[in-house]
Amino acid sequence: MRALVVYCHPHNDSFNAAVRDLVLAKLDAAGAETRVHDLYGSGFQPILTTAEWQGYLTCPDNCGPVSQEVADIRWCDTLVFVYPTWWYGLPAMLKGWLDRVLLPDVAFVMPDAQNKTIRPGLQHIRRLGVFTTCGASRWLTFLVGAPGKRTLTRGVGYLLKPGKRLVFAAHYLMDSSTPESRRKHLLRVAAKMDRLIGRAVPAPIPQPRSPQAAE
Amino acid sequence: MTRALVVFAHPCDDSFSAAQKNVVVGTLGAKGWEVDLADLYAESFNPVMSADERRGYHTVPANTLPVQGYVDRLRAAQALVIVHPVWNYGPPAILKGWYDRVFVPGVSFALVDGQVKPAMTHIRKLGVVTTYGGTWWRTKLAGDPPRRLVSRAFRYTTQADKLVYLALYDMNRADHAKRADYLARVQQAMEQF
Repeated sequence: MRALVVYCHPHNDSFNAAVRDLVLAKLDAAGAETRVHDLYGSGFQPILTTAEWQGYLTCPDNCGPVSQEVADIRWCDTLVFVYPTWWYGLPAMLKGWLDRVLLPDVAFVMPDAQNKTIRPGLQHIRRLGVFTTCGASRWLTFLVGAPGKRTLTRGVGYLLKPGKRLVFAAHYLMDSSTPESRRKHLLRVAAKMDRLIGRAVPAPIPQPRSPQAAE
Repeated sequence: MTRALVVFAHPCDDSFSAAQKNVVVGTLGAKGWEVDLADLYAESFNPVMSADERRGYHTVPANTLPVQGYVDRLRAAQALVIVHPVWNYGPPAILKGWYDRVFVPGVSFALVDGQVKPAMTHIRKLGVVTTYGGTWWRTKLAGDPPRRLVSRAFRYTTQADKLVYLALYDMNRADHAKRADYLARVQQAMEQF
């Protein structure tokens, strides 16, 4: 197993950081090789530039500005996202990672004379994990249609191997979360990771963070 | 009702998105709107919410200080029109970051007893002009995330009387005639706006 974990949160003492630590502990216990993209930690630049847009369709030169990210997504067979949901969607930082890294001939193949539509390009990825926190309730998120979840599970999910294993877990009402609700959520994440890996692997549950760092 | 904030998110001024923006700005101007164009790329908007900003997110009214200029421009407007391409089933990061950083509590919504209440009710008309790389079908299968954000979340926080969502799908294969048709649709919608 080769797992790429994309983590996006501005605070390193956040609850999302605890989720990330648990994900990594599970992967480690499963004997997986892992690579982490800590977008805030590494100062990732999320804006697709004018030059990148102009060279967007020029493969493989379009990979130049994000060559390491592209190498990692080509290397992995398991992709995990850990992030807070802001405005029902991905933080700009993570959205920018999709914009700049999921390029033509990397993530998808553009229409041509033979093919009328965009085709998936990440069929070597067999497992997708999506872990998030939402300020909104489950009900409100459902009413809005969970745009962030859909962007990853369906939008990105479509690019991966058909029949891939997919797990999703969200802690809703994050602003009124309690140590108990956060601990329960970590147990849920642990169970989902076992399913993603395909067997139960032992890993310690991280201590719930302080209420000041709820999300 | 006189002032419209047009938010534009595309890196190139010779793009089809820029053509849509020009039609929107020109048509609204000709119809007597006072148009304020927020061209996020040209204004070098920083879409990344910082660690400090996230910590102060719920501190009304100080939470607007990092983006006070944009909050003032938004509050001065009675109409909001957003022009952007859809990339990977969502707005470009620079625009998502504008939502993240500008639509903070007290500006777009208020939390009253833990319940979300609309606070962007000065916006009476809401418009989106966009293009998708994916086909209509594929977009619907994915659940059309960017449309839902506007038609449900923003519609709620503004309580707008009018919502216009214009989209051209399968944009990469749209020929000149289709694009011209789309620009005509945009012009007509903005005339009626």
